[in-house]
Amino acid sequence: MSGETHFVIIGTGGAGSEAALTLRQRDPKCRITQITGSKLPFISRYELPRVIDGVNSWRELLAHPPEFFHENRISVRRNSWVDYVDAKNKKVLLRHKEEVSYDKLLVASGGGGYVPENLREFRPLMNGYGSFEDAVTIRKALPKKGHVIMLGGDMTGLDLARTLVAAGHRVSLVAGEQLFWPHEVPSKKREKFISVLEDMGIKVVLNQKVTAIKDVEKGKYARRVVFEAGGGIDGHAVMPFCGLMPSLNFMVGANVDIERGLLVNPGLKTTNDSIWAAGDVCQIWSPEENSYLFYYGWHHIKEMGKIAAINMTGGKKKISTYQDDHLYINKQGEIDSPYWMYK
Amino acid sequence: MAKNGKKTTDMQFAICGSAGDGTIAAGDIMKRAMAKAGYKVIAFDVYPPEIRGFGKCISRIRITSDQVFSLKPLSDVLLSLDDSHAIPHVGEVKDYGAVVYEDMPVSVMAEGSHISGHLTSTQLPYGVPFRELSERVTSSARSRNIVAVGYLAGLYDMPRQVFYDTISDKFKTKPAALTRINIEAFDAAFDVGRNTFRLDEGSLNPPQKKSSSGDLVMMSGNGAVAKGCIDAGLDTFFGYPITPATTIMERLAIDLPKHGKRMMQTEDEISALSAAIGAGYAGARAATATSGPGFALMSEMMGLGSMAEVPAVIFVSQRGGPSTGMPTKTEQSDLNIAVFGAAGDGQRIVLAPTNVEGCYKCAGKAFEIAERYQTPVVVLLDLYLSNRYEAVEFPTKNPFKANCSKPPGKLKKGQPYHRYEITKDFISPRAIPGDKGYRHAITGLEHGENGRPNDTTHQQMSEKRHEKLNGVLRHPGIAMSKRFGDKGKVDVAIIGWGSTFGEILEAMIVARAEGITCTAMKVVLLSPLPMEPINAIFEDSKEVLVPELNYEGQFANLLMGATGRPVTRLNRVPGTPMHVEDILEEIRRLAGKKKGRGSLAAE
Amino acid sequence: MSNIEKPVYLEEKLEEVQESGRLDYRSKSLPTWCPGCGYFSIVEGMTAALNNLEIDPDETVVVSGIGCASRFPFFVNTYGFHTLHGRALPVATGIKVANDDLTVVVVGGDGDAFAIGGAHIPHAARRNVDMTYILFDNGIYGLTKGQTSPTSVLGFQTSTSPFENHDQPLNPLMMLLSYGASWVGQAYAGNPHHMADMIEQALAHKGFSYLHVLSPCVTFDKTTMTYKNLDMIVHPLPEDHDTSDVMAAMAIAQKTEAPALGCYFNEPRQTLNDGLDDIANRAQGKNEKPKKASQRQAAE
Repeated sequence: MSGETHFVIIGTGGAGSEAALTLRQRDPKCRITQITGSKLPFISRYELPRVIDGVNSWRELLAHPPEFFHENRISVRRNSWVDYVDAKNKKVLLRHKEEVSYDKLLVASGGGGYVPENLREFRPLMNGYGSFEDAVTIRKALPKKGHVIMLGGDMTGLDLARTLVAAGHRVSLVAGEQLFWPHEVPSKKREKFISVLEDMGIKVVLNQKVTAIKDVEKGKYARRVVFEAGGGIDGHAVMPFCGLMPSLNFMVGANVDIERGLLVNPGLKTTNDSIWAAGDVCQIWSPEENSYLFYYGWHHIKEMGKIAAINMTGGKKKISTYQDDHLYINKQGEIDSPYWMYK
Repeated sequence: MAKNGKKTTDMQFAICGSAGDGTIAAGDIMKRAMAKAGYKVIAFDVYPPEIRGFGKCISRIRITSDQVFSLKPLSDVLLSLDDSHAIPHVGEVKDYGAVVYEDMPVSVMAEGSHISGHLTSTQLPYGVPFRELSERVTSSARSRNIVAVGYLAGLYDMPRQVFYDTISDKFKTKPAALTRINIEAFDAAFDVGRNTFRLDEGSLNPPQKKSSSGDLVMMSGNGAVAKGCIDAGLDTFFGYPITPATTIMERLAIDLPKHGKRMMQTEDEISALSAAIGAGYAGARAATATSGPGFALMSEMMGLGSMAEVPAVIFVSQRGGPSTGMPTKTEQSDLNIAVFGAAGDGQRIVLAPTNVEGCYKCAGKAFEIAERYQTPVVVLLDLYLSNRYEAVEFPTKNPFKANCSKPPGKLKKGQPYHRYEITKDFISPRAIPGDKGYRHAITGLEHGENGRPNDTTHQQMSEKRHEKLNGVLRHPGIAMSKRFGDKGKVDVAIIGWGSTFGEILEAMIVARAEGITCTAMKVVLLSPLPMEPINAIFEDSKEVLVPELNYEGQFANLLMGATGRPVTRLNRVPGTPMHVEDILEEIRRLAGKKKGRGSLAAE
Repeated sequence: MSNIEKPVYLEEKLEEVQESGRLDYRSKSLPTWCPGCGYFSIVEGMTAALNNLEIDPDETVVVSGIGCASRFPFFVNTYGFHTLHGRALPVATGIKVANDDLTVVVVGGDGDAFAIGGAHIPHAARRNVDMTYILFDNGIYGLTKGQTSPTSVLGFQTSTSPFENHDQPLNPLMMLLSYGASWVGQAYAGNPHHMADMIEQALAHKGFSYLHVLSPCVTFDKTTMTYKNLDMIVHPLPEDHDTSDVMAAMAIAQKTEAPALGCYFNEPRQTLNDGLDDIANRAQGKNEKPKKASQRQAAE
């Protein structure tokens, strides 16, 4: 459609949706297309624990009512995976072979769970936690008083662990390098937090390297985690929580700078003048630190989405690079984190 | 909706693609398999008018545990075998329904040409690499449609075996290897579907236990007509090809010779009915089948049948009119010719079934009735009913009687046989060519009891020909009308005929659930009209609604003429079945009126 | 031409006629045709033929359309069906398909056959339905009091062609020969004995037999197709005429200025009912004859 700017947003998470709404407010005439691999309209990741608590219908977990997208004239392409971005011709090629042309592109594809290389072959035996389907699968895999073995221990995992324990399940955490990720907790301070975890009902296993995960055919449990030093743990499900990996395979070949995430300036623009990035997928230049940093947490994500949208429509805002990233123990004696604030 | 604690099923699938994609075959496999599994099934296919294979086809299949009477306006699942055809139909899928499509098209598609971009915010997308799966298992993309059906079967956890049986049946005349690889393709896709996480809200619960020994067979209206003919001992069929009645003739062309009987394609519709009348005169059970334009040609010959009192059965599958009209669209506008068409007062018997089982019954009974009352009998279907498939249980014992003609009786010495003798019930004892000693000539001229031309007998003969038909109101083994819903006094009565009655029943059910007192009556015998139940329902109702698929309200006119009472017409001619919503809206509007007759007869 | 060689006495003749049994085929109704109409002798010829061939009148059906000729069924004592204008052939086909045992004779006039009924003739002929079609050609519509028909000559003046008839007349013999009729013949009501013989041949033929009978309308055509005129031009077919040679038959049929009488063409082939039986046998996968179309037994 000539005359209308076509904004394409890859991702319908916190950043992408905030950006879409902001774009609509700032440019009432433009065309907005969001692309997501999920089959569902936007489910907030932070609502997923409710599935463990027993919520069955995804309709209750929507971040926006279905009419939201229609009312705001945002076209959401669900079940659509991006194969690659042809930055030269400003086209996004979807895996189902449809080409979507854009005037300006926002990559807000977030991140997927990182799995250490030595464990990647065991992926089929592990349960993810990225989507509604994952959450239901996990709930169905657990009988009453089920046993979940978590690997790593990032904040998403610990958040889930809280919910699992409250639902009457057992959680064993094989701590890895990513314990408390994205918080960086020096070893001396860890002990304190670890004992709090134990008080919260999470059994923490330290100093063990996992070499294999096996399928247990007979008996009570379904999975076995094997340690390098010998022995292991049996449980109903194994879940990796080793931090996030930005989802940006499709950006390879788009000629934008990438480190681990997409590199953007404080205005969230990449090295391509038509491509911005926001959310877990990008690293933002911090002049103070003289390096590119990731910013996590619900508020940051939303903020990034908003700022990117403002700048895509001619604005000149900069992201505030201050990040409250301290892990603490709250009044109830439990671990808490700014990253757990979603409201 | 749970009934007696058992979960009920009500899922409607719409499969859309081009004829070349095997769309209709896919629908066929699904409906037959589900009928085998014990579900009630109603299915209807829409074909393109072109003969070439690129036109759009849609196969809609509704699968239920309880008896239903029509297709739903919204489907639960849309399967696209060709996005360019299916995209306009995305709106037909309900909220939280599913759209299933090809994930890996052959080549890059322009923005907006893939169906996944057209879903509403509440519909769930399922992308499947049909072509790849088909090629992987069968080395060709031709089994895409079977793969798609397999995927759906797995996704909704349908029983596998009935599909194996149906696929084997479908390919039984082809090499065995073909059956095997198609079943493999089905299986491969079934597993993919089974392992797909389901997010839409359809669900297929196990069917109810089968109530009796009979098997549920998927049959179309025309198929049921053909079966009724065979079971009633049809001896000779004469027909002329015309949409949508041709398939009756084609079916009988195979089945009649198998039973040692005869079928012939004539040079036109006039000769088709002429030959049937000739055969009827000679004592055989004879029939023809046509649609509006052919039926119009048959008028004169129908009149001869009435005047000369010769039995014959005419099946008319109505389509859009007038004249050549809309050959591939459904309508109910030939009632006028059926009841009135022909010169003079040539009343004959007209039957109209309302569902596939009724097609079977009316077809067979028509022969009994034609013979007994010595008159042409018209059986009215419509394109929708002719081509609609339903899961039907046929009786194991043949329900039709042979030889219902009144025999000619002993010859009295010196008294020649009188073919048109006026008796108490006005039905004359009937001799046929070959009977010894009963020679007579029959004619289209007015005649006396002896059959000789005579114009002084017209008053008595007219009375005879009309009064003799009254017996049909009580013909055994067939309900000439039936009332459903509330008994006694009601706010709204809906009187209907033909396939529209399915939609009428569904509307009545919903209206009653909303607290409106209403009743619905189907009239199967349209001439002569069963006045007793009709008058009774008028007495019971504040408002009478007559929905029908014709512009002029032909049945409403009949009813008003016969009862002298006003009705509310609901006339639609969309070429497709009437919407339940439209009927429901009218019922609500009529129920909301003040007490007493406020409605005008004409809208 | 007179056929009388010696005096015939009424009583002798009457006895002979009564004993022959052919009066059984005559109905009690007196024909309503005009005196002098050729149709009287057609009735005679028909009843004589049926009698000679010993065809059971209870198994005979005479089917007609509308017209003077079509009154025929009432004047013979067989089963009969007086149908609609132009529709005798398909009705007769239905009767024959329903019951192989019936002898089906179709009668009609030139208007009934070649105007409104024209579409049905090729199909009855090409299907070779086992029946006999006797065509009473008087070149006019008599019953409706004298209008042009498809066989009226050029220039003929009638109530609907008061100036003159412009339309070239059809050639029925040519048509029937080209339609594939398996027996085609022509007779003349002015030669009643020859005609009776022709009728007998036509009835005896198994298959579709067409007999064209030239029969003047004495009331409405006093100028053109009269006995006087026809007497002068009709003549028998050549002795050496090969009845299996359809082209030769057509060549002779072309010569309408001198109508030839006799059997033009005779080549029996499979009839419609035989074909239907064949289909039934194949459908049932067996070699025996299949069940007949249903019939009731006559009451005792």
